[in-house]
Amino acid sequence: MIDELERGVKTLETTSVTITVNGTPWKGEIPVEDVLLDVLRSRVGLTGTKRGCESEVCGACTVLVDGAPISSCSYLAFEADGKAVTTVEGLADGDVLDPLQDAFIRNVAAQCGYCTPGQLMAAKALLEDNPSPTYDEIAHWLTGNICRCGCYPAIATSILEVAAEKRA
Amino acid sequence: MLSPFRVLHPTTIEEASSELARLGDQAVIYAGGAELVLLIRNGLIQPDYLVNIKRIPGLDGISSNNGEVRIGTAVTHRRLETDPVIHARLPALAEAESHVGNIRVRSQGTLGGNLCFADPHADPGTALLVYDASVEIGGANGGRQLPLAEFLVGTYETALQPGELLTEVRVPPLADGWRAAFLRIERFYRPTANVAAALSVREGKVDAVRLAVGCVGPKAMRLTELEGQLHGASLQEADRMLRDSKPYLTEKLEPVSDLLGSAGYKITITSVLLARALEQAAQGNGGAH
Repeated sequence: MIDELERGVKTLETTSVTITVNGTPWKGEIPVEDVLLDVLRSRVGLTGTKRGCESEVCGACTVLVDGAPISSCSYLAFEADGKAVTTVEGLADGDVLDPLQDAFIRNVAAQCGYCTPGQLMAAKALLEDNPSPTYDEIAHWLTGNICRCGCYPAIATSILEVAAEKRA
Repeated sequence: MLSPFRVLHPTTIEEASSELARLGDQAVIYAGGAELVLLIRNGLIQPDYLVNIKRIPGLDGISSNNGEVRIGTAVTHRRLETDPVIHARLPALAEAESHVGNIRVRSQGTLGGNLCFADPHADPGTALLVYDASVEIGGANGGRQLPLAEFLVGTYETALQPGELLTEVRVPPLADGWRAAFLRIERFYRPTANVAAALSVREGKVDAVRLAVGCVGPKAMRLTELEGQLHGASLQEADRMLRDSKPYLTEKLEPVSDLLGSAGYKITITSVLLARALEQAAQGNGGAH
């Protein structure tokens, strides 16, 4: 929440944006210096996207903008105006989980789970880009999504399984 | 939380240039934000204005003109990594781009932003140097063109003058028979050292060669003296000369010891990477052209 950090300085300029978040338009007036992560968490109210390193390194804040994975911690929110943003909350269809979510659970691809929303979104983008990735291609794509619990093999296995399910 | 600023959205190069000239040190160019937002967050800069150049039509294209590849300043790394024209004509650049940051940085960051930030620990500049790339600069008094080697002045320093912006990167084709390769090693996120080589071989000997090194010195640079020495050498001799080039590299690159490695380590690894890049280019592993 922005409230949890208290805005210490006065905003100079705001702008009106309409962002389609997980298929639903969200309209609001935002400070131009706000990053997408803060808008998603404290304005839209979706807290699945996590704040991590705030340096584009860890990947916990990964969301998709028009299908492309970005670090929402360092992406100015005004850029998302008119675009479609997908967060981890947008993966499941009601109670029906995305195949990636099912595979992550089945393979225990999370321990503490903090990086998981970002891992899922990066994985989602990968399979959109490359429906049949090799293990090495998965490793290269996910190099920017850090899991300090060390679930990498289970994450990679989950992606390989979902790719195989889709081919079948 | 970022320190507050205003954002300007010029729609022509002239407008962007005049805003930059008018605002001087108060304004910075915003071309993607992959580096800029981090600088603001960490309090290293506190700009009053961001001049967003991404809405200027024509700065986000890739085109091929009589073999010369023209890359708009706002083209993302991801696009360069995947674009068929870049793969076909500038494979060593495509290879370098595939290593930039991570998939998110590549989706957000732009070539122009990367070159203008002039962090020595960057990949695209090194590859572009062996293609003899030049940059097109827009300003109040019209445009000017500079070789990339002259545009990159030093660490975080370019030849851009107040009121100027990088608009396009122009890359001439390698002549028939030339091949290029790019190699890098990293311990962390940014490269520890990277090299690029472009080579033409005639009857088993080095006919002409271009070599570039990034990260180890204050900026990515060509190794012109070494290039001259390799002329006419057999590939085996050239390999030995590159592996023995450590005194030259030390003098040329002036490496410093830091968290990425000691100065000596960086020089050793650079000499090895150069030899391997030459070999790859000679074998065509770096791709055609």
